[in-house]
Amino acid sequence: MNELALAMKELDEDKIMELVKSGLDQGDSPLDIVAALNQGVVGVGELYESGEYFVSQLMFAAEILTEVMEILEPAMVRSGRTESAGTVVIGTVAGDVHDIGKNIVGTLLKGSGFNVVDLGVDVPADKFVEAVAEHQPKVLGMSALLSFTYPEMKAVVEALAAKGLRGQVKVVIGGAPVTDEVKVYAGADYWAPTAMDTVSFANRAYGK
Amino acid sequence: MTDMKKLYDERLGRYQAAMALEPVDRIPLASGVSTYAEVYSGNNKQETIYDQEKWLQGEIKFCQDFPVTDTLRSNRIYGPLFDALGVVNYKLPGRDLNVDTQFQFVEKEYMRPEEYDEFLANPTDFIVTRAWPRFMASLADPGSLEYANALFKAGLCQAAFGAFMMRRGQTLARDCGMPQPMSGFFLAPFDALSDTLRDFKGIMRDIRRRPDKVIKACDLLADEMANLALNTADPTRSLPVFCPTHKAMFLSPKEFDAFYWPSLKKTLDILHHAGHRTRLLLEGDWGPHIRHFLELPRASVLLDIDGQGDIYRASEAVGHHQGLAGGLNDPLLILGTPDQVREKVKNLCQTVGRKAGYIVNGACNIPYDTKPENYRAVCEAVEEYGKFDPGVKPAPRQGVAGPRPAPKLISTWARQKALIKAPAPGDEALIEAPWNRFEALAYNFWWQWVV
Repeated sequence: MNELALAMKELDEDKIMELVKSGLDQGDSPLDIVAALNQGVVGVGELYESGEYFVSQLMFAAEILTEVMEILEPAMVRSGRTESAGTVVIGTVAGDVHDIGKNIVGTLLKGSGFNVVDLGVDVPADKFVEAVAEHQPKVLGMSALLSFTYPEMKAVVEALAAKGLRGQVKVVIGGAPVTDEVKVYAGADYWAPTAMDTVSFANRAYGK
Repeated sequence: MTDMKKLYDERLGRYQAAMALEPVDRIPLASGVSTYAEVYSGNNKQETIYDQEKWLQGEIKFCQDFPVTDTLRSNRIYGPLFDALGVVNYKLPGRDLNVDTQFQFVEKEYMRPEEYDEFLANPTDFIVTRAWPRFMASLADPGSLEYANALFKAGLCQAAFGAFMMRRGQTLARDCGMPQPMSGFFLAPFDALSDTLRDFKGIMRDIRRRPDKVIKACDLLADEMANLALNTADPTRSLPVFCPTHKAMFLSPKEFDAFYWPSLKKTLDILHHAGHRTRLLLEGDWGPHIRHFLELPRASVLLDIDGQGDIYRASEAVGHHQGLAGGLNDPLLILGTPDQVREKVKNLCQTVGRKAGYIVNGACNIPYDTKPENYRAVCEAVEEYGKFDPGVKPAPRQGVAGPRPAPKLISTWARQKALIKAPAPGDEALIEAPWNRFEALAYNFWWQWVV
């Protein structure tokens, strides 16, 4: 693990910003920088799984990544090279306007190299379906904080099936009121107890 | 004694005994937040927050149909008050959301990071003049007609709501024998700072970039939250004060110990010394933090355990020292079958319910979409398996008042006297007492918006 990856794993914000800026100044490839950050994020995930890090640290990792990506994205566009681990469509389901969980998942996915299509909050079923048809992701993630959303999740899964898209996309659901029972009820493929579980699931879906 | 009075006394006595960790005749079924009662009788979610009478009628019907219930809920938001001020950090059914979608709180950074010092210098001044107008659209232009009118209307709405809440409590007691689960409210100081002022992202940065300021702000907020709680608490000390918790679940034990707990403990200590118990909704998984409640006096808090938490572990960790409520999680009540519900209640009564101090409840609440047959199964199972000590005759009691800090005021009568150059030749106490009473109400009015 290089210095940047280690700083990411340790959430040393100042050091990360310094290394990213000096790296770009020295002509390092933005993709190499992203790769190091990805490695660091994997380390964050491991520390989270081992119980050393909590959601607060995941949240902060996501914050740092958001800031770093703002610097990196223009450089990546300039270098004309983008590579993605795959596409994931995410959103908070209809009726629910909470986004903390979804945003953490989105940023960690980006930090792990995925192209994330974030549909926002209060997303109706047809918007999810349209996005799957348009972006052809292998993974669709639905988030919720409130328990009245169970039928909404089910509605999205059924709408995907009605459009013949269900077979091409794995559906993962997550959020405070979501459990394995809800997964079964909604007809989803996977219930992610934590944000990192969604990242692992996406990695598996894309064969990584 | 009327039947309803008898029922009221039994329910309240049973609930109080459980909170005191004393034996009960039967384990109480005592929610602090039952949103299901509101919709059971057919109200949509807009009606509940805009039409108080419909809310009350819904609750009355619920009480009649599910008499095993010992408490329902004690508080609600009142739409017209939010409209008068143009409050936009809450999304309301029928106003911002579909009529059948529940109201929701949307966090935003209403205090900027560079404003900590201003906040610390005078928190009340800061929230009223700086932060709140950022989410109260009608207060954006101080001194304007719209501004003055909004404040006046908000005062009227607040008074009307207070009067309704009193009538509601009296009606439910008289006609249904139904006591209130709580009176008064506050937030953990860290939540007060993060929910409405700094927002989640902001606070997560602050605890790393300006930890000292977060700690100072929480310490100041502990006094404010205690003041809010004491001014809204039950003067007879029969009922606990309500405190929903929001951000503890995201924190590591180290962060919790540094930022969340000291100021919450300070607030709880002030309430305890004043003779008040607190009912806390432990939202999310409090597993890593819950042992801290052992530091508080025995039976001084009642803890609602959330669906992501584990009531069995909570019982092992603190159940001998503090009351616990919960165990019926949302997926079970919404998606499960009556048989599954009955099994779960039986299991809870025979495990965590063996200890005095357990209360059957949903995970911090009885959700809107609970199936009626599932709630009925809860009631039947509590009757069947919840018998604890049938020799006990539940009877209500009042708490003992202890010392409390003086209510906070924005302005004193002495200052006002100087402002209007009043010679005050009459009985000044006759002026000062109502002055202080309305000042305390006004102070509360402003601080309630942190919740």
